[in-house]
Formats: sequence, C-alpha cells, structure tokens
Amino acid sequence: MRAIFIYAWTCIKRFFRDPVALFFTLAFPLLFLFVFGSIFRGGGDVSFNVAIFNQSKSSFSQEFVTNLTKEKTFKKVDIGSFDEAKEKMGRGEIDSIISIPTEFGQPNQQQLPSGKLDVYYKESNPQAGQTVATIINSTLTGVSQKITGQQPLFSVEQKPTTTSNLTQFDYTISGLLGFAILSMGIFGLANQFPAEKKAGSLRRLQATPFTKGQLVIGTLIYYGVIGLLSLGLMLTVAVSVFGFDMRGSWLLLLGFLIISIMLMLGFGLLIGGWAKNENQAAVLSNAVSFPLMFLSGVFFPRYLMPEWLQGITGYLPLTPVVDGIRYITTENASLIDLLPQLGIIAVWIIVIYALAIKLFRWS
Amino acid sequence: MKDIISVKGLTKQYGNVTTVKGISFTVKEGEVFGILGPNGAGKTTTLEMIEALRPIDAGSVMLDGIDVARHPQKIRHIIGIQLQSSAFYDKVTLKEQLIMFASFYGKRVDPIELLAQVELADKAGSYPEKLSGGQKQRFSIASALVNEPRVLFLDEPTTGLDPQARRHLWDLIRAIKKRGITVVLTTHYMEEAQLLCDRLAIMDSGTIIAMDSPKNLIKQLLGRGFKKPEVIEQADLEDVYIDLTGKALREG
Repeated sequence: MRAIFIYAWTCIKRFFRDPVALFFTLAFPLLFLFVFGSIFRGGGDVSFNVAIFNQSKSSFSQEFVTNLTKEKTFKKVDIGSFDEAKEKMGRGEIDSIISIPTEFGQPNQQQLPSGKLDVYYKESNPQAGQTVATIINSTLTGVSQKITGQQPLFSVEQKPTTTSNLTQFDYTISGLLGFAILSMGIFGLANQFPAEKKAGSLRRLQATPFTKGQLVIGTLIYYGVIGLLSLGLMLTVAVSVFGFDMRGSWLLLLGFLIISIMLMLGFGLLIGGWAKNENQAAVLSNAVSFPLMFLSGVFFPRYLMPEWLQGITGYLPLTPVVDGIRYITTENASLIDLLPQLGIIAVWIIVIYALAIKLFRWS
Repeated sequence: MKDIISVKGLTKQYGNVTTVKGISFTVKEGEVFGILGPNGAGKTTTLEMIEALRPIDAGSVMLDGIDVARHPQKIRHIIGIQLQSSAFYDKVTLKEQLIMFASFYGKRVDPIELLAQVELADKAGSYPEKLSGGQKQRFSIASALVNEPRVLFLDEPTTGLDPQARRHLWDLIRAIKKRGITVVLTTHYMEEAQLLCDRLAIMDSGTIIAMDSPKNLIKQLLGRGFKKPEVIEQADLEDVYIDLTGKALREG
C-alpha cells in the first residue's frame, strides 16, 4: 500500500518538474476554455437573433416577415418547433421569438390590415427581447401611420418565457470538461508508458517486487490527482471569469468526474500498457479519441445527428460522461437521475480494465 | 560453501532459434561469479531468466532454495539487479528514487547512507540524467542494494566507462563482496574477470564452453602447451594512461 502511494507521489512530483507536461495538462485546457468562453459569451453587436413563427397566411404578414428579415438588425434563425425555440432562447442562442397568429394582417371593418403579434423574451434576461419588441412596435406604428395617418392598426404584446437562465457557455462546459478528461486520460497515459518502456525505467520497476496491479493503481492515483487539479482549475476559471452557472451539487459533480477520469484512464492504460512504442500508441490513441470527440457530443451536440446515429453514439464511453456532467450542471440531476449514465460507464470500466490488465506488457 | 544458485538445463527459445541451449552451473554463496562471452552468446538472456525477468522455456533455476519459475515474486525480494540498459525516472532525485525503490520492497532506507556507500552522497538532490556514466552505474548499484539482497546481478557494469571509473566500480564490487553478498556479473573485459571473479563461465552461442577459476583456466591453457607469441611487457598502454591521468578517482 505504502509502495503505491510513494510511487504515485513520486510521479506527481516528477510531473510538476516537467514544464511541457504542465503546459499541456493544465494550461492547454484553459486555453480551450478561454476560446470557447469568449465565443459563446460574446455578442455585444446590435443584431438580434430571432425565431419567427408565422401562422398567418395573409399577404401583409408574409411581406412583413420578409421586410423584417431584410433588416440588418434581425437575424432570422430557422427553428422547427416553438418549444425548441424556447429552449434555444434559454441557452442564449436566440434573443427573441416572434409569434404571428393566423388573424394577423387580416382586414378589419375598414378593410385595413390589422392585428396583434406576440414577442417572447426571456424572463430572467429581458433586455434583448424587450428591445426587439420595441423595435417591432415602432416599425408597425410607422406602417399604420402610412396607411391611415394616425390610427394604430397593430399591437405588440410582450410575453416572458420562463426557461432557466442558462447561457450557451453553461452547456458548452460539459463538452469542454469531457474533452479535457478524454485528452488527459488517453493521450497523457497512452504516451507515458511506451516512453518509459523505451527508456527502460519500466523494466527497472519490473525487476522489483512492485506488481502490475500496484503500478496500475499507483498510476491511477497519480493521474486522478492531476486530472482533478486540471478540471478544478477549469471550473474555477469558468465560474470566476465566465460566470458559469452551476445548478447541481458540486459534490456529485466531483464524484462523477472521478469516475469519468477513471474510465478514460482505462483507455490510456490499455493503449499505453499494450503498445511497445510511441508510434503504436499515437495511432491507437487517435483511432480511439477522434470518433469519441466527434460522436459523443463534445464539439457537436448529439441532437443534430440523425436518430439512428444518436442511438448508437449513446453507448460510446464518452457520451455518458458528457451527458452526465451536463445533467448535473444544468439540470441539477440527482444520483438516481444519473443511473443510466453510470450504468454505461460501469460496463465500459469493467471491459476496459479487464483488457488493460490482460494486455499490459512491461517492455 | 553452499551453492546459492543452481542452474540445470536452462533453455531459451525464440521461434526456432535457441539462444540458451540447456546450460547448467552453480554459484557458491559469497563468491563473485563471472559470465564471459562475445555479444549474442546468451549472457544477458541467461541472467534475465535467473532474475525472473524472462520466462524459462526449459530447465530449472534454484536460488537460495527457491524455484525461480514458481516463485518469481519471492526471488525479486532477495535479489538486486543492475540492468544493462538501466534507466531511472528523469526529474526524480537520487534520494527520491531510493526511497521509492525501497518502498517497493516494503522497506525504509536511509538514502544518504546508501548513496555514501557508492560515494554519491553529495548527489542526493541531483537527477539521474545529470550523472556521468560511472556515477550512473554506481547509482544503479545503490538502487539494487536497497533491499539488502542475497545476490546482486550486474550486467556489463563497466561497459562504456573510462578506466578510472572502471577501477572505481571494481573497488565497489569488492566492498560488496566483503559484506557477504554474492555477485553474478557479465563482462567483456578479461582484465576485469581476472581481477574480480572467483570463478567464471565462458559462454559461446548459447552454451558454456569453459568454467573454473581464472587461475585454473590459465593453468589449463598453459597445460595445453600455450605460449604467448611475444615477451610479456612490464607495462602496457593502460598502465601509462592511468599513471599519467592519475590513479586517484577524479569523477564524482
């Protein structure tokens, strides 16, 4: 037992003396965080992303919508359903939803087009939506004046929606954490063992009573500590710089992250333990990590994929990791809510570790 | 003296190439036993099978009464190994390395004391990559002594060292022998074998072609009527070199 801890502690000290390892493990994910954080927090221009749901068949309303989207102020975003639009507004992807009822633009008693439309805004962050409503209101007033002189024909009703105040960044962080766990587990560890096999230091350990199992556990402790440090740093920056809005339990997140790190380290152990040299390790780590990166919802949300692909990719090892983190951070998921994710992770852990221990080679 | 190692019919096969062909020999407790032979003779493979680092294909090795093939873990506890291509973790100080190695044996050691035995006490805070060739080999021996082994294996300990460093290492090996530790070493240097080894085995293409004390081997050769073609010189170039550069050990 003491041997395992001394081994892990020696490795940790060694890690902190290696500036390259330090940079790629601690600073590199932060760099990613800053890039993504600035993209998704950004904005600040005067154009608004709006979703328009036009139920009216009248020629007036058709023309109104066409003119609206010609304006630089509005950027029309095509969204399938109203609920989806509300969700997007909750994430800050769009600023407002304009809903045009069927009666809008139908002629009134004076045979003039009239009607009322609804502008939805986010209750918790109303400025953008209300600005949209004001602009549309003044546009419609202008139209009314041209037609009648003074009589107002249209009205705009502002309606709040009560989606939670989560920014795009809050949704992105789960992918970023997933990516950090993936790259540390696979690339870090898969490279370390072959390098040590080449140098001969692993063979020197083999000459002592230190066992394969002790080596694996010691390495897991070492990488677990470094991994949590890296993720902790990312979360600290996310909260303090980008206002990351944590909805769930930090303790649950910590536990979930530890399990996720263990899973991904299993892949690193499998590849690094089996590979005889760095070339084999590099090919294998890329072969494993690239599909995971693109199919597990790290960079692209899985709901953009066709149904059948969503079904398959749901069982990839990184998918439950990214999903689980997002459920905890955005939906305050409980341990019980996470059981499906934990189940998939558990199966993967058993399979990967069994293979890793079986295929491990000292040299 | 009792036999601490007894090797019987030891064989290693890679595909259809047999690199060690059923060799047998014994090593007595407390002696320095040398294995000589050209590259590819099977010295290192033989050593690694005895050290439980390589599976034994046929034959048996008993070390201090323990069957190596059946109890490799027990063997690791009572032997110390200096590998030919020995490497240590970079960016880990000598002191930290020794503490770590001792912990693998479930032991606590005084790293400075161990380093002092190989005259590296002042390097306790250095990283192994900063050491000279001779210092590296001495540190390697220190790391093989953390568990107070019964048998110490040294695979070509002086290859690549300059004459001073080599002589320094010979002194160290003699000191280790004095402590009652059995030493098994391989070498290419006849002078080294003659000076250090109580007995030696000469290997060629996987078999032992001669085994005895250096004195007896020479006697046997002379008995066969061998004569050196030239008169033996009173000194050779190595003596000149050592005399000029100083016998005092300059490294460390």
